[in-house]
Amino acid sequence: MSQSHLVFDHVWKKFRRGERHDSLRDLIPAAVTWLMRGAPAADELAEQQFWALKDVTFEVRPGQALGIIGPNGAGKSTILKVLTKILKPTRGRCEVRGRVGALIELAAGFHGDLSGRENIFLQGAIMGMRHAEIARRFDEIVEFSGIAEFIDTPVKRYSSGMNARLGFAIAAHLDPDVLLIDEVLAVGDFAFQQKAFDRIREIVSRDIPVVVISHQLDRIASLCSQAILLDHGAIVHQGEPADCIAAYVSHHGAPSERTSGEGPLVIERITVGPASAVASGQRATLVLSGVAKEHDTPCSIVIRVRASQTGQVVFATTTARCGVELPASGRFELEVDLQMNVPEGIYFAETVVRDRKREVALGSGPTASIQVRGGPSFAGLVQMNSAMRVVRDAASPRVRVGKRDEAVC
Amino acid sequence: MIASEAPEPTGFARLAADVREILREQRESYELLLQMARRDLLLRYKQTAMGFGWAVSMPVMNMIIFSMIFTRVVRLDTDLPYPIFAYAGLLPWNFFASSLRFSAESLVKNTPLVTKVYFPREVLPFSAVLVSLVDFGVATTVLAGMMAWYGIGVGWSILFLPVVLLVQILFTAGIALLLAMGNLFYRDVRYLFEVVLTVWMFATSVVYPVERIGGWLGDLLLLNPMTPIIDAYRAVILRGELPAAGPFAAAAALSVVTLAVAWIAFHRAKFSFAENI
Repeated sequence: MSQSHLVFDHVWKKFRRGERHDSLRDLIPAAVTWLMRGAPAADELAEQQFWALKDVTFEVRPGQALGIIGPNGAGKSTILKVLTKILKPTRGRCEVRGRVGALIELAAGFHGDLSGRENIFLQGAIMGMRHAEIARRFDEIVEFSGIAEFIDTPVKRYSSGMNARLGFAIAAHLDPDVLLIDEVLAVGDFAFQQKAFDRIREIVSRDIPVVVISHQLDRIASLCSQAILLDHGAIVHQGEPADCIAAYVSHHGAPSERTSGEGPLVIERITVGPASAVASGQRATLVLSGVAKEHDTPCSIVIRVRASQTGQVVFATTTARCGVELPASGRFELEVDLQMNVPEGIYFAETVVRDRKREVALGSGPTASIQVRGGPSFAGLVQMNSAMRVVRDAASPRVRVGKRDEAVC
Repeated sequence: MIASEAPEPTGFARLAADVREILREQRESYELLLQMARRDLLLRYKQTAMGFGWAVSMPVMNMIIFSMIFTRVVRLDTDLPYPIFAYAGLLPWNFFASSLRFSAESLVKNTPLVTKVYFPREVLPFSAVLVSLVDFGVATTVLAGMMAWYGIGVGWSILFLPVVLLVQILFTAGIALLLAMGNLFYRDVRYLFEVVLTVWMFATSVVYPVERIGGWLGDLLLLNPMTPIIDAYRAVILRGELPAAGPFAAAAALSVVTLAVAWIAFHRAKFSFAENI
């Protein structure tokens, strides 16, 4: 098992664009044209092709978890399909040693007319489990899925949540040597998601190589030891998850779209210091650099901090509110100090330039991401630095005697 | 930057590697094959109230129709009573034809599986053959009943039946792989093959002894391996003799070659299935 590993060595993958002749009826006229007019020109063929993966190289060793992030269509799922042998690389080498467990399309093998019980055996077999193994873990799987009372009901009567839960439960009992996860971190209701996530965390901690694809950036940050940022099939950033997420967010301006400004004041760059990951309750410093052109519009910069998981704005302020006057011309740097009194997760710091007089946005600037790691534990949205004390003898109206137990948590 | 490519083994080395991989995959996936076949059988018998009747009705109906034609309309002299001659031919033919009908659509029907999960894709056409084999077994009971009716007993030659069955399975599996693959790349292969099946049935000794055709056409039909196979069933079950050695051995050899070639071709093409389905 410690031998298991996963190598992607300069992998290229080419796809055809558009439709292919998928019937003989279409093929024959096409072949006739081909014979009469000669083969289509090479550039015409090249136009119909595109590279889904361009020279992608990485290696994952036991105990490492690699997160892959990037916009839709960047090639993330193509990587997993190559790793699972569904697709073959056009060029390069992909080597996977060990039994592959793929948490991808968890219910792909389900058949609606079969019962949950029958589907467990079928799906288990498709995922490469032996019959005896499934039989041995059957009760565990049913227990985990939490749908024991419907196990003999045809799957077509299940809700989509039940379907996904059963699929996850089967996959989660696979005991793989290599684990691949594609966007399945959001399965079922909140309680099940937590359970599923704990299960994945447990498998990840088993000293096996893991690859995770997700748009839930905080999940990547908390599961993975390294990450790659993919765009248009190529790796654009490789390294610490927090750095990759920062690079992703600043390149793609998520979640608000970026309008690079022609306005009187343009924010060109935003960086997070001292590190892009801080502990909950610690301070993070944003450094915005920009340039102001000669103008007489009174401008202010809005800083909005948004939780990536919920999309909720947890904090917003403006330079005007802080009493900061921005220069009327020339380059400037603005330091924003934030105390991250929020729970663990990824937060986006968005910037917007506003016209103070007319109260309109002139353009949005770049976005940075801040990773907050677990600090002193608390539940909820913000750290309220609660203080508690027990006051004994509270019934006595006059004297409040003072043995007070005080605790800050 | 151009990626460095591992040199692809060529010729015999590549063939040997393919065969090794095929064998390894089969060892790992035979349970999946059984599960798939079980699924298809469960579904068949769950969905159709007829259940086992499904397996029996086709060959029985055909046997009745051809018996009417060849005993009432035109008299056809056969060494065996015509109904049993016809049924003993229709039974294995039906196994062959329904295996191929199901396997032709097996990959395309399971598109979500083929594009989302990796498993040896052979499992799908093979499971179609396996399901038809079960139907074949069920329909055999009718043959046993007919033999009792006509007072035909079995001799020691019945011991050779597994060999005949094996040869047919090998040949069927080979064609099944080619068809499943062909229908994946070109969706109308399935319809085209229906036409081929009809012609093929009358080019085989299913409902009449094909050697009566004679002439150059008769010579041409000797190339069809299904005739010696179906004749072999009649020989070992009904006539109590071994199949004609020459033609049967040739059919057996051709079956093995067909399966080997089809399997290697399927194995080499299967990595492009997900992109082309």
